[in-house]
Amino acid sequence: MELNGRRIGVYICHCGTNISATVDVEAVTEFAQGLPGVVVARDYKYMCSEPGQNLIKDDIKQMGLNRVVDASCSPRMHEPTFRHACQDAGLNQYLFEQANIREQCSWVHTDKEMATEKAKALVSAAVRRVYYQEPLETREVPVNPNTLVVGGGIAGIQAALEIADSEHQVYLVEKEPSIGGHMAQFDKTFPTLDCAACILTPKMTTVGQHPYINLMSYSEVEEVSGYVGNFKARIRRKARYVDETKCTGCGECSNVCPVELISEFDEGLSKRKAIYIPFPYAVPNKAAIDKRGYPPCRVACPAGVNAQGYIALISQGKFKEALEVVRRTMPFAGVIGRVCTHPCELDCERAKVDEPMSIRTLKRFIADYELKVGREKATPVEQTKEGKVAIIGSGPAGFACAYDLVKKGYPVTVFEAMPMAGGLLRYGIPEYRLPKKVLDNEIDLVKELGVEIKTNTPVADLGGLFDKGYKAIFLGTGAGNSLKMGIPGENTTGVIHALDFLKQANSGAKVSLGKRVAVVGGGNAAIDGARVALRLGAKEVTIVYRRSRAEMPAAAGEIDEAEREGIKLHVLAAPVRVLSQDSRLTGIECIRMELGEPDASGRRRPVPIKGSEFNMDVDNVIMALGQEVNKAGLPKDLDYTGWGTLSVDSTTLETNISGVFAGGDVVAGPSDVIASIAAGKEAAESIDRYLSGTDLREGRPEQITRVKEVSKDGVGKKARATMPMLDLEKRDGSFTEVELGFDEKTAIEEAKRCLNCAACSECLECVKACEAQAINHEMKDEIVEVDVGNIIVATGFQQFDPSVIYQYGYGRYDNVLTGLQFERMSNASGPTGGEILLADGRKPESVAILHCVGSRDENYHKYCSRVCCMYSLKYSHLIREKVPEAPVYQLYIDMRCAGSGYEEFYERLQEEGVNFVRGRAGEITNIAETPEEEGKLIVICEDTLVRRKRRLPVDMVILSCALEPTADADQIAKTFSISRKADGFFLEKHPKLDPVATMTDGVFVVGCCQSPKDIPDTVAQASAAAARALAMISKGKVEIEAATAVVDEEACSGCKICVDLCPYKAISFDEEKKVARVNEVVCKGCGVCAAACPSGAITSKHFTTEQIIAQIEGVLV
Amino acid sequence: MKYYTYFPGCSASSEGGAKAYGWSSKAVSKVLDMELRELDDWNCCGSTPYSSVDELSSLCLSARNLALAEKKGLDLVTPCSSCYVMLNRTNSRLKEYPQTKAQVDEALAAGNLEYHGTVRVRHLLDVVVNDIGYDEINSKVKRNLGGLKVAPYYGCQVVRPRPSFDHPENPQSLDKLITSLGGRAVPFPLKSRCCGGSLIISEEALALGLIRKIFDSALSNGAECLITPCPLCQTNLDAYQSQVNKKFKTNFNLPVLFFTQLMGVAFGLGEEDLGLRTNIVPAERVLAKYI
Repeated sequence: MELNGRRIGVYICHCGTNISATVDVEAVTEFAQGLPGVVVARDYKYMCSEPGQNLIKDDIKQMGLNRVVDASCSPRMHEPTFRHACQDAGLNQYLFEQANIREQCSWVHTDKEMATEKAKALVSAAVRRVYYQEPLETREVPVNPNTLVVGGGIAGIQAALEIADSEHQVYLVEKEPSIGGHMAQFDKTFPTLDCAACILTPKMTTVGQHPYINLMSYSEVEEVSGYVGNFKARIRRKARYVDETKCTGCGECSNVCPVELISEFDEGLSKRKAIYIPFPYAVPNKAAIDKRGYPPCRVACPAGVNAQGYIALISQGKFKEALEVVRRTMPFAGVIGRVCTHPCELDCERAKVDEPMSIRTLKRFIADYELKVGREKATPVEQTKEGKVAIIGSGPAGFACAYDLVKKGYPVTVFEAMPMAGGLLRYGIPEYRLPKKVLDNEIDLVKELGVEIKTNTPVADLGGLFDKGYKAIFLGTGAGNSLKMGIPGENTTGVIHALDFLKQANSGAKVSLGKRVAVVGGGNAAIDGARVALRLGAKEVTIVYRRSRAEMPAAAGEIDEAEREGIKLHVLAAPVRVLSQDSRLTGIECIRMELGEPDASGRRRPVPIKGSEFNMDVDNVIMALGQEVNKAGLPKDLDYTGWGTLSVDSTTLETNISGVFAGGDVVAGPSDVIASIAAGKEAAESIDRYLSGTDLREGRPEQITRVKEVSKDGVGKKARATMPMLDLEKRDGSFTEVELGFDEKTAIEEAKRCLNCAACSECLECVKACEAQAINHEMKDEIVEVDVGNIIVATGFQQFDPSVIYQYGYGRYDNVLTGLQFERMSNASGPTGGEILLADGRKPESVAILHCVGSRDENYHKYCSRVCCMYSLKYSHLIREKVPEAPVYQLYIDMRCAGSGYEEFYERLQEEGVNFVRGRAGEITNIAETPEEEGKLIVICEDTLVRRKRRLPVDMVILSCALEPTADADQIAKTFSISRKADGFFLEKHPKLDPVATMTDGVFVVGCCQSPKDIPDTVAQASAAAARALAMISKGKVEIEAATAVVDEEACSGCKICVDLCPYKAISFDEEKKVARVNEVVCKGCGVCAAACPSGAITSKHFTTEQIIAQIEGVLV
Repeated sequence: MKYYTYFPGCSASSEGGAKAYGWSSKAVSKVLDMELRELDDWNCCGSTPYSSVDELSSLCLSARNLALAEKKGLDLVTPCSSCYVMLNRTNSRLKEYPQTKAQVDEALAAGNLEYHGTVRVRHLLDVVVNDIGYDEINSKVKRNLGGLKVAPYYGCQVVRPRPSFDHPENPQSLDKLITSLGGRAVPFPLKSRCCGGSLIISEEALALGLIRKIFDSALSNGAECLITPCPLCQTNLDAYQSQVNKKFKTNFNLPVLFFTQLMGVAFGLGEEDLGLRTNIVPAERVLAKYI
């Protein structure tokens, strides 16, 4: 009976017997007839069929129905069908409601009575709801004719070509440097045994040249927004560091690259370089550089020397080029290679395998090599800048500063008070540690570049320098004053402070020493003083140090050598007075110490033991207590810190006087050479900016990220090279260098231990080799945004990693391979040139192929990977062809050969004499039980057809591994708003009738990312998705669902809760009116905003509160 | 102090064939500050051979122990790998098969007992290496084993069939334990393979073959002795070693100790705690080389 103008028609479907077998459809129909508003109720066998639909249409026209309820299957199935039927008959499609009495009733219950009652309740709910439904209009939006294809394997290539051939634009995004995907890795394809590359490369080439395909390789889609017909995709084009427009693909860069990495394309069977083209038929055929961040050595070096760079070149025997890498940063390779404290070695990743790399000694090696073969005179740098720079102090800080500035084109003059340049490098460090000729060679290099050095020229007045026309000044005067002890008798003749002693010895001056010498102190200067004293003729040298040996700050190696040379260590003692007779030094009175509480440096404080004084008879005392800055030698108006060092800005190194910068020991106090070099370089940067008028602070300090994870897979232990030392007998009285350095063979072997943490080492050899000048190491990632109407996701699969199945020995035994590894081995362009070989180079005498590794397995993947039976047959064929004498065993559960020509292929292999064993392998072992099994891999399996356990001794085992979803499938699903099935592959809209569409309109999934399949099916799906996209493009417009949310702006309180909650970012906020507004086109009608709105200002159209309450009432009442 | 309810099982109990295992387990636990409180009125765990003959009765026997242990509220720790498997299997069966549980509940009720499935059954080896830890064990070593080459023989039941506290094919806990005692672990490929178990009784030839392979493998990797966490394995390898030699004309002379015996040696415990006299292949000669 009509109710308040509503004339409702109710239609109950039998759905064959799907519904009627469980639900008494006639009873439900009768029940429906009596519901409020219902003017007609019918039942029919197949409501969705043409006659069924006609029932509805006729009743609408003839009985004037203005509401329709259909009780049948899920709306997901047929809501569109019935909505269209209503619309066709002239009734607005939103005046229709579908009650699901199949999936939610007849299919899940067995009790007929209760199912019928439930069906009645569902129908009643629908009737009450439809009463409140209002007509709504769908919107039509235009469809952007561009398409985004994600993934450049065969699926993506096929889809792209089909759409592009219709002269519509395609953006093809591929994350690897080349398209081709896994198919490019295959050898032959089943069942025709066509070569995969032969059938794939023509398509790849066409893609690369197609006018309608914009190929973005080495790129990934980061974000997608919008809706069907109107998507916006943000794509990150990763920096290749190679200009694609210039690169000719000649490969010269790879030839010179010193860094070898594991080739992903060859599945780990071969190496590739850091700059590489993945395979010969790559599209685009352009190189790419693999950079993984900064290596830890480079990050740890205060001066930023590129250690990985020079070590990689040494490993290739390119010593001259290696030295060039060091000299890009600083001139002192030979010096630093001997005396540096090597912070780089402390963070070396190699230490996690065995021991850190000998980074320092390798640097020394290349510098010494240069001395051996002779250095070409350096070309003076052209002076392009006007500002003259004065550098005061020719120690490492001053030189590093001068070097950087002269290379930038500045006129630089270094002022040095001493007779020769070098600072403590010459006057402090002894000859047997740092030969003068090494230092002189590197100083000469700096001079040849154009730096003027004025020795014997102390400078006290900075103003004078400015008057002479210098525009900027760097103070690198060091901390060359010795600390005094302050004990009585310190001024006695025969007491000398270490720095003065070393200065004299290093100047070649005659120093007279008695037989017995005491050296007071525990730092490097003390050891240097002691070992020099020994060489100058002292017979008994004793080092007196107030703490214990473990706390001596000198380098451990130096202390060891001192002891080996015969120097005694008297620890936990300190002098309290110098003893003399007739003004001649006779000895020192000392007191014993014990260690007390830690002091400010964290070391335990030495505490004198009362009454423990004792005398030492000595002829000379060398005091090596420490260094401090010589304030007297510096200009008056500078600011100092509390430590007595120069005060400077920590970023710019500028002093309180404008244009005057400082660094090194004069600022930091006594520290190490590399820190001083770093300071000199930093000051050079500051001076350059100061003189060019650019901001001193911008972008400083430079942010660099250390590479995070460095794989140690397959790296065997190898001991670090040891430093050969001069025999003790040969050292007697001579200043010959004690540490002898590596020879060529040792250096190369040691350099090969480097893990190449950052992949590309930035040695820049490729830049030199590239004739097309296509390489640019400064490139950055680029972001591109595209507008498209459809998206086809074709991201493929990854191969299951069988190392988790311990019993199969993958990764433990040499000759157990995965399927893809075998493809590469068999491929003529692969690592073995197409020959089937064992790891030791022999041909296998027998091979076993195991099916279902990781598939059909409760422990890993339950599904069948579909292609393995066929490719296993293919492998058998390839082996029989290439190694005809080798028996091949295939261990299978079932042979799945359904496809055109597949069964015939199986028969062919049976005729070729492959041994088919029906049973799974339990284990692969190398423990032989009989002589025939010695040296073989034994496959222990069950042969279910003969009902016996068998042992098959073979040389090679191939594991036919499962195809599984890619590791980033989760990420992809989120980006493209698609779901994943329980097995991890992407969810299609309907497994039978709609395998390429997804629940998200406009987004399609094709190929193996949807489920494992072979190439013909993949190509078919790709074409199907292309057709769907083209259909939409051809129509030019698409209907948007009308059930969206709408905000009542008067009721809206402006709280903005809905804005953040919307998962589709469909709600914007009008700042002027202070109200929220829903973009109806983006809104998917999920209802979250409506539920959350505290003012109740949001209505979900077609899901109003009234409608829902009515529905609930219908069920309960 | 850590507290556990202790289930020795028939073999490791004071009257059992592996009584030395019981003595050494208790003594070593004392050193490690573990209090093992023997479960009052415990009965046979149901036993692996019996469970193949009459599974339901075996489950009931096992469940009785669990019901008693549940009242104590602590983890139930056993040194015997068979008891470990049986008690854990009972827990799983009762959880996965409600009909079986109903029958077992009925049996328990007849004895005024109930079991709610809350007892965690653990192996003594698991507790020692995971609850106490290698560092603590190392700190209690008084007599460093001096590089004695010990082959860790796990047997199969402590790592399979269900996921356990160590890798099912390549377990490491005994290996690391040997190192922490100052010995040199000699891992060998058959370290977690079956010794034949109770088939030594019904299929002696087969079991002797399996035992022979284990000795071959351990010896060829340099073992001077073996340790094991299972009484059945220990019996098979120790008591039947002469049978193996007779049958296969080998001359193995490898002492087979319980892991707790080796720990006790390293901890400096005395014979009344170690029970080395009860081992059939004498251990003193090998141990004396280093200690």
